[in-house]
Amino acid sequence: MRRLAIAIAAAVLALAGCGGEAIVPEGQGAHGHGANSAAPPVPAASARFNDADVMFVQMMVDHLQLGISLSQVALVKATKQEAKDLAGAINTTQREELSMLKSWLKLWGKPEGGGADLHAKHGGQPLLDDEVIDGTKEKSGAEFDLTFLNLMAGHQGAAVEMALAEKKDGMNPETTAYAERVISIRQGQVSQLLKVISEP
Amino acid sequence: MKLTRKAALVMAAVPAIVFITPVGTASAHGYVSSPPSRSAQCARGIVQGCGAPQWEPQSAEGVKGQMNCSGDRGDFAVLNEDNRGWQVTGTGTSLTMTWTFTARHRTRDYEYYINGTRVGYVNGNKLAPVDPVQHTINLSGFSGRQKLYAIWNIEDTAMAFYSCIDINIGGGGTQPPPTTNPPTTQPPAGGTWAANTAYAVGAQVTYGGAGYKCLQAHTSLTGWEPPNAASLWQKL
Repeated sequence: MRRLAIAIAAAVLALAGCGGEAIVPEGQGAHGHGANSAAPPVPAASARFNDADVMFVQMMVDHLQLGISLSQVALVKATKQEAKDLAGAINTTQREELSMLKSWLKLWGKPEGGGADLHAKHGGQPLLDDEVIDGTKEKSGAEFDLTFLNLMAGHQGAAVEMALAEKKDGMNPETTAYAERVISIRQGQVSQLLKVISEP
Repeated sequence: MKLTRKAALVMAAVPAIVFITPVGTASAHGYVSSPPSRSAQCARGIVQGCGAPQWEPQSAEGVKGQMNCSGDRGDFAVLNEDNRGWQVTGTGTSLTMTWTFTARHRTRDYEYYINGTRVGYVNGNKLAPVDPVQHTINLSGFSGRQKLYAIWNIEDTAMAFYSCIDINIGGGGTQPPPTTNPPTTQPPAGGTWAANTAYAVGAQVTYGGAGYKCLQAHTSLTGWEPPNAASLWQKL
């Protein structure tokens, strides 16, 4: 009986092409370049994607927004110049990533929300939320720097974990390529953050 | 909508099968960031070729009650190798440690051990950690080179997270060898873009035959190549 069930499952998967895959109807295919010709081209996500791709992009939308919020506090409050520069670069690059990911969800017909719920399901209580970010505003000087640097190192470390999962389970080529970049960029940031943490 | 009715039916049936595969595992993770634990040194590239700990320094997870830098995770075994050239931190008898968390979890307690002796204990009160988490422990009675085990015991799972810190009590520390810790260098004017380089606003580079101007001060990273980071680099 179990063997039969597996055989049926395999047949269904073969018919569908790939597990959990969805196809965007024709006419809504890849079209990445924004209306504003001055804006840099945003890579469009192609039409074939699976549940892992959608979950990763939805979780990253929330994750990017929280990182942007924390960076904005650090732009005002950080005392170490390296911390401030890193916050500035995270703020601006993650905005760029955010608009790209939102355009992918729109193309795929998937909602932006739900990332927090997915976090709760897959990773326990996330490190950052609005309350934690508000809490950092009460701190100043070395205590703020210490809090910001460790929160950001943890936050970006969590992004590496999410991107590693996408690399393993995702199928959309643009999304897995983005995951590769997230792994490299966030690992590099964690390395820079740890260096600043260790400096007096 | 050009999908056939049959295809639509098949696709509707697929999710029930696909969701059997669990995506990801619970990730409530943490490690000691300062002084740099072995995991943190892998993440920083002070010690290279670590494998998994470079990407996930927070994930040396194992069942509670071990004396094991890797938590007994096979892909983290490098953390147990004492001869990998770990940077040693010089300290007096009072040592303050800082933790980095990637997710929050209710905490039973934190324990610190040297040679099987518990030298520090902090009750977690079943609460999730609130940054910054720092603990100062008393190392009186110990001297010289020691391997300090820092353990985060989770309240509501059987697991703990392990960090090992190489210290020299009453003595000096070691500096990372310069060749393994890429310094952030000042770029030559108008040179080719390179990773791990500090770029100021207005700095100009070439990449792939094109010229770019820096819009935001940053230290460059692999993945932040000018064509991949339009918010950092304006094409000229």
